[in-house]
Amino acid sequence: MYKGASYNIWSVLMVSPFVIFFLLFWALPLGLGIWISFHNWNVSAGNLGFVGLDNYKMILTSGTIYNNLFITGLKNTLYFVVISVPPLVIIALGLALIIDNLPDKFKTIYRTIFFISYSISVTAVSAIFLWLFNNNGGFVNNVLMSLGMKDAVNWLGEQPYAWLTILIATVWWTIGFNMMLFINALNEVDNSLYEAADLDGAGAWAKFRYVTYPQIKNVGFFIVIMTVIASFNLYGQTRLITNGGPEQSTNSLIMNIQTSVFGMNQLGIGSAMALLMGIIMTVILGFQYWLNYRKKD
Amino acid sequence: MKRSTRKAIPLLTLATIIAILFLLPLIWMVFTSFKTLSESMASSSILPQVWTLENYTGIFSSVTEAPIFRWLFNTTFITAIGTIIVVVVDILAAYALARLNVPGKKVILGMIFAALAIPGIVTLFPAFYMFKEVGLLDSYIPLIMPYTASTMGVFLVYNFLLSFPKDLEEAAYLDGASQWQILYHVIFPAIKPVAMTLAVITFLAIYNDYLWPSLVTNSNEMKTITLGIATLIQGSNFVNPAKMMASTVIATIPAVVIFLLANKHIVKSVTNTGIK
Repeated sequence: MYKGASYNIWSVLMVSPFVIFFLLFWALPLGLGIWISFHNWNVSAGNLGFVGLDNYKMILTSGTIYNNLFITGLKNTLYFVVISVPPLVIIALGLALIIDNLPDKFKTIYRTIFFISYSISVTAVSAIFLWLFNNNGGFVNNVLMSLGMKDAVNWLGEQPYAWLTILIATVWWTIGFNMMLFINALNEVDNSLYEAADLDGAGAWAKFRYVTYPQIKNVGFFIVIMTVIASFNLYGQTRLITNGGPEQSTNSLIMNIQTSVFGMNQLGIGSAMALLMGIIMTVILGFQYWLNYRKKD
Repeated sequence: MKRSTRKAIPLLTLATIIAILFLLPLIWMVFTSFKTLSESMASSSILPQVWTLENYTGIFSSVTEAPIFRWLFNTTFITAIGTIIVVVVDILAAYALARLNVPGKKVILGMIFAALAIPGIVTLFPAFYMFKEVGLLDSYIPLIMPYTASTMGVFLVYNFLLSFPKDLEEAAYLDGASQWQILYHVIFPAIKPVAMTLAVITFLAIYNDYLWPSLVTNSNEMKTITLGIATLIQGSNFVNPAKMMASTVIATIPAVVIFLLANKHIVKSVTNTGIK
């Protein structure tokens, strides 16, 4: 073995920048957040005393303003997860299947076009969709009216249109990433399996169900997990396109935590909410892992 | 036309329709930026009837309230420095953890895995408070340094090194190569693809971040381009789709150009992250 004890000093030198950054910018804020969540802590005035579990109790007692913020935000966010994950995964798979079946010389150009919107920042995406779907002077309404529709659709100020706008913007923005992961998985599928299926006279659906699907299942699971995390972190689109409206129906959990911290100056309660959100996300992801592994056994 | 191409015509048609749908918002953004204010509010056609540059000249003349080029500089500076630090620091750490005797290795690896499972929102507001208490808000430090705590990079490189054979390193060592020579001549060339992946992921994460920069900056001069566009959306004097789209075009074009130039690497990066 060439790993001698003499390397110890080098190994410490190499690993320590990362460890220091990690402790300083991750472990320390995490510990501080837990500590703060047990205190009445203002952003401006600082620590106003230990309160034990009171912050958590207040968030979880129905009727308080913080309970309202937390539950509304959680419900809206879960709603978005439920409506966004299926299209973000299924349409991505559809696009990947289209590209996989195109003649080789066309693959790159279409792949690039479907993926290009991923390079645009969330705020630029919001600017574009805000003005595409604006109630007053938005392009989509202008087109619909010129086609003979009488009343403008209140895309941003009325449900379900507001969620629909957020959903369209999100799908347009991020679907290319999931598609790329699927394309890669499809490339790995052994072509001889398709040839064998052809010989057996399998149709397109049977080929997908019995050849493609088992081969891309694992990547598919990984994509679902990543998409759930991304949708849970909904913030920019609802902050900028609908600003939480109409009637707070698109206020995401992160937006409401931000309101608790800055709008209400309650860093203690905000930190408790963030920790609860972290726990909920971890539980949901753990449950998904459990489901996936249970099926395998 | 070749037979395979002819057979693919229905699929090509479908792909083309979807491609047009995907490109429409971008095409609309570009053309709207050349429309007059009144036309941009009322028009139902993509192309401008009257072409104007007033939206772009307007941006140049309002750089004091919306210093868009300063924002572009900030983003360039922050993403470049941040990405370099993350790539170097993570590669060194991953190499040490995968190949050398690091004291407390199990503890460090355990922390890395734990951190991967914990969502970022948990550390966001306390980290803001930390920077506020030490008086570093509105500087480049909070805009760069927190990204170095991400454990994703160490995890990626560490995993890669575990599956990479040690023979070359051992041969180099037996030939009397120093630790740095082994790193420079053997490890760096081998991990180039993973390093590129890490660079792309880090670049995109810093470039696209909106909430964190909005917490740690106050002044207009310290904003990133991503945050700056948000400020324009929320500002009252930009209730003007044409001018908004001109700003968005300026904000977006550098990223799209980088994306197209680095397309191959980005594709590979996504592929690499998707493997495991």
